[in-house]
Order: sequence, then C-alpha cells, then structure tokens
Amino acid sequence: MNPTLTIAALTIKEAVRRRLLLAFVTITVGMVGISAWGFDRLSHTHTITSGESHLAVPDALILVMFMFSFVVALSASAIASPSISSEVESGVLMTVVARPIRRTEVLLGKWLGLALLLAGYAGIVCALEFGVVDWVSGFVPPNPVLAGVYLFAEGALLLTLSLFLSTRMPAIAAGVIGVAVFGAGWLAGVVGALGSNLNIGALRTVGQVGRILLPTDGLWHGAIYYLQPPSLIGEHLVEGGNGNPFYAQGALSWPYLLWVACWFLIVLIAAVASLERREL
Amino acid sequence: MPPTNSVDTAAVEGRDGSQAFAGVSRAADSGLGNRSPRPTPSPAIYAVGLTKRFGDTIAVKSLSMTVERGEVFGFLGPNGAGKTTVVKLLLGLARPTGGEALVLGAPLGDRETRRHIGYLPELFRFQALLTAKEVLRLHCRLLGLPKTAWEEEGRGALATVGLLERGDDRVGTFSKGMQQRLGLAVALLGNPSLVVLDEPTSALDRVGRHDVRAIICGLRERGATVFLNTHLLEEAEHVCDRVAVIDNGTAIATGTLDALLGHHSTVRLKVGGLGELWWSSFGRFGRWRRQEEWVSVDGIDPSRIPDLVDEVIALGGRVEAVIPEHQSLEARFLELLGER
Repeated sequence: MNPTLTIAALTIKEAVRRRLLLAFVTITVGMVGISAWGFDRLSHTHTITSGESHLAVPDALILVMFMFSFVVALSASAIASPSISSEVESGVLMTVVARPIRRTEVLLGKWLGLALLLAGYAGIVCALEFGVVDWVSGFVPPNPVLAGVYLFAEGALLLTLSLFLSTRMPAIAAGVIGVAVFGAGWLAGVVGALGSNLNIGALRTVGQVGRILLPTDGLWHGAIYYLQPPSLIGEHLVEGGNGNPFYAQGALSWPYLLWVACWFLIVLIAAVASLERREL
Repeated sequence: MPPTNSVDTAAVEGRDGSQAFAGVSRAADSGLGNRSPRPTPSPAIYAVGLTKRFGDTIAVKSLSMTVERGEVFGFLGPNGAGKTTVVKLLLGLARPTGGEALVLGAPLGDRETRRHIGYLPELFRFQALLTAKEVLRLHCRLLGLPKTAWEEEGRGALATVGLLERGDDRVGTFSKGMQQRLGLAVALLGNPSLVVLDEPTSALDRVGRHDVRAIICGLRERGATVFLNTHLLEEAEHVCDRVAVIDNGTAIATGTLDALLGHHSTVRLKVGGLGELWWSSFGRFGRWRRQEEWVSVDGIDPSRIPDLVDEVIALGGRVEAVIPEHQSLEARFLELLGER
C-alpha cells in the first residue's frame, strides 16, 4: 500500500478506536433529535400561517446548519491540531519517519485520513438533518449535496490550517489559533455584510479581505445559498437582506472557488515544507 | 543473510552515494596508511567533522568517526554529551550544520538506505491504541516488506524480545520496559544491516538487559552492525567491539576496549620458588606489590606479560596463576572525562 494511504488508514483506525467518530455521531444524533422536535413544532403550529411556516423552516434550517458548520469546523481544528505536534512530543513520529517514508507522505496521509473522517461526519450530519427536516416539514433544500460539500470544505479548510500550525506549535496553541481565526473569519463576514447593507466601504472591505485570507465564511455562504429556497431569496431581496449573515445572494463565483482551491494548496504545501524542515 | 549486498553493489557500482563512499573508503584507508587501488566496502558509518549547533550551543563539535560493518560500536558519554543528537543526525532526523557523513555508503537521510536501518529511539512511544502485532505490521508495511512476510517477521521479532504472548495486547497497556522491548522488536524487522540503539536498556531490569545483550550478540553473529548509544558502561563492556567516548559533542577517545583500557593494565601472579632477592626484578615491568605468594604489577604493558612470566620461570620460579586485570571501563571513562 502507498505510504500515504497507510498513514491515512492508521489515522482513521486510531480515531475510530478513540471513539471519536462515535462520540461526534452520538452528540449529533441528539442534536438532530432536538432540532426535529423544533421543526415539527414550527411546521404544525397554529400561531403562524402555512406561508410563514414555509419561510420559517428554511431560515431555521440555515441556523441549525450554522451550528453544525461550527461543530464541523471546530471538530476539524480539534482533531488536526494535535496530529503532528503531539506525535513529535511523544516520539511516535520519530519511529515512523525513520522508515523509508517521506515526511510529505506522512503529512498528506494524516490530512487524507482526517479529511475522510470529516467528510464522513459532515455527510452524516447533512443526511440526518436534511432527512429529519424533510420528514417533519416536507422541506428539502434546493441542493443538499452541494450544501454538504461546502460544509465539509469549510471544515477541511480549518483542518488544513490546524495541521499546518501543528507542524510547528503545541496542540493547544494550534487549536486555539484555529478556532480564533475561524471566529474572526466569520465576524469579518458579518462586518462585511453590514458594510454592504449600510454602504460603508471600509466595513465591506473588511468582509472581502476576510473571505480572501480565510475563506471559511465564504464557503459557509456557499452552503447557505444551496439551503435557501428561491422564495426565501426573493423575500430577502425585497427586504434588502444583504446585511443578514445567514443569507447568500448568489452562488460562489468560479474565481472565488479557484482561490479557495489555491488557498488549500498553498497551506498544504506550507505544512509539508514546514514538516520537512522540522528537526525531530 | 543481511540485505547489505544491494546497498553495497548499488553504492560501488554507480549510484551517487556509491562513488562518494568508495572515495570515502579510500580516504579512510589512506588515513591508516594503506592506500588500496580498489574501492573497499563502505563503513557502516563514516563521519567527518560532523557539527550541530542549536543557536549559540554547539551540541556536536567536529565529530569524526568510522564504524565498520559487522561490528558492535559503543557510543559512550555522560548525559548531555550529544550522543542522541549524533544519532538523530545519522538518521536524518536532524540536519548537521557542518561536516558530512555517510551511513551505509549513502548521504544522511537517504530514504532507500533507511530500509536497511533499524532504529530504537531513546524517548519514544508507539501508537497506544494499536496492538503490538499491529505496530509491527505497520512497520513491515512502511518498510515495504511483502505482505506474506509480515506474520513471520512480526512473530520472530516478538519472540526475540520475549513479547510473543502479548502480541494481541494494546501498546497503551504496556509498561515502559515492555514498550522498550517492542521498540527493539520493531528495530529488528526486515533484517537490517545497521541497528541503531539509543539507550536500549534504560527502562529494563537486569533480566531485560541480559536479553538485550544476547540480541546484540545475535545481530553481530549474523553480520549486522550495531551502533549502541549508551551511558551504561557495563553494557558497552559486555558487548562492544569498539567504543567512542564523547563529551561536549566531541569524541575524546575511540578504539577497541583493549586499546582503550590496555595501557593501564594490572597483572596478578601467584608465584612460588623465587628467592627473596628476585622479587625486586618485577620493578622493571611496573609498580609492584607483594602479598604473600601473590604479586601485583600495575601499569604493565599487556604485551609484556608473557615476558614477565618467562622471566619468573627463567629465574627458577613457579608461576601458578596469571590474572590480567584491566582497568574498568568506568574508571577509564572517568579518567578520560577528568583529563578534559
């Protein structure tokens, strides 16, 4: 087996034995259950009209998925930030890289293993939540698969960043920085949306720069777009919903997606270079 | 058979590293005054002026040494002498800031060469959630061994280190000593030409240390080179063919144990039938003292012990026992450190 795949398989095996995936899925099932009850109440209440309910359910779904996007991103940071640094500190990595294997293969294997775990988790989250919402309210997002892909990409982005930080920093420092940067990225998006709404150029620039430096918020808005029914987009356009951080005016542009791909590549190459140069 | 031939052949017949190592061998020979027209097999380890700095601190200072193939080489030194840094440099885990070295004829860190090196680090852990057999399978896979060989390799290595019955237990349940045994098992996988052991017995009891010595002797018997990094002099004294003593990152003495200790030998003889006047003739061989029929001669050149015996016999004496006593390695070690 290719060394990269060997390390990826090892990473997944260790995560499974740590019962990491099981813990996440258990918590997720609980949260999906609670949200199912909420969506059921929202769909079958007599205090709002069915039309209002049809608008409220997608809005609520976006909020719930925002919570899950947060969980996916933080989970990505939590599993990636100790992956290299802890193994350097414990000496596990030394036993591996003394073998005829490139450090690049070790890093890419870890990235691949963690990304597959994250994809599995994001897939489970989306399948459960979208399935439950469809079951209790009959609402299906316009493109649940692409919404799930963006949700995963958002997490994978933070995973890549945390892995890079992990090649040089202790696990806690890498984790804290990852989370802080994610929060700052989201806040920059909100500030940018406010800037658009209030027509303040400086604030709009903050949002734009934030999305370039860390595209997590951009990807989150890509996911939002595929969660919104056309009726909701129309509603927001009428209300001038540019300032709403839970609203996306359009799909992500190809140049932006290209930049996201470049961002992944740049950070991954930086992580590889950093580990290659690190003395053990 | 150790898989050294492929490395040797590749090295001598044309790889980049090979030419270097053929040259290095000649250089090494010329240093001994024996210039050979044919390239000789490369030493297992050859280092010239190896230096490692961490900022203003010099961890390894212009270290030069040669470890021949098939020998057990002890690398001795007090804590903080730079031993582990040297090991890391040799294995490509850290980069030297000066000098150069070849391991199995290849430049430091050469990926293919690592296939022929077994390494037991000083401070390490294996994946705690894997079983011992899984750890061994992982390393068989990383070594590129054929899958059909994994089971046999793993069983053999576990049996050698006395962990066969714990093969299905998770490494996280192992004591420190058992982890060290497992580390040794991993280092033995794939029949390596060079085994680098960094403080291999630091967590072991006396039985474990005895087992490790037996394993090292077994490696020597099958032609492997063992680079034994230790601060336990007793360990080196039992198994090493040659040793280097390192202090402050520099080799302060290198050679066989005999050579290292030999200049300071003592010999004890049980002598009968010598007249009182003859005892003083021992003074020609060294400082002597008598205790009834036993006489001890300190500082005697070991090569002169037969002359001493001959002299006693020629003078009509009777030699009932000859007991050469080397200075202990520990005493010599402390002496060497004290000389600096």
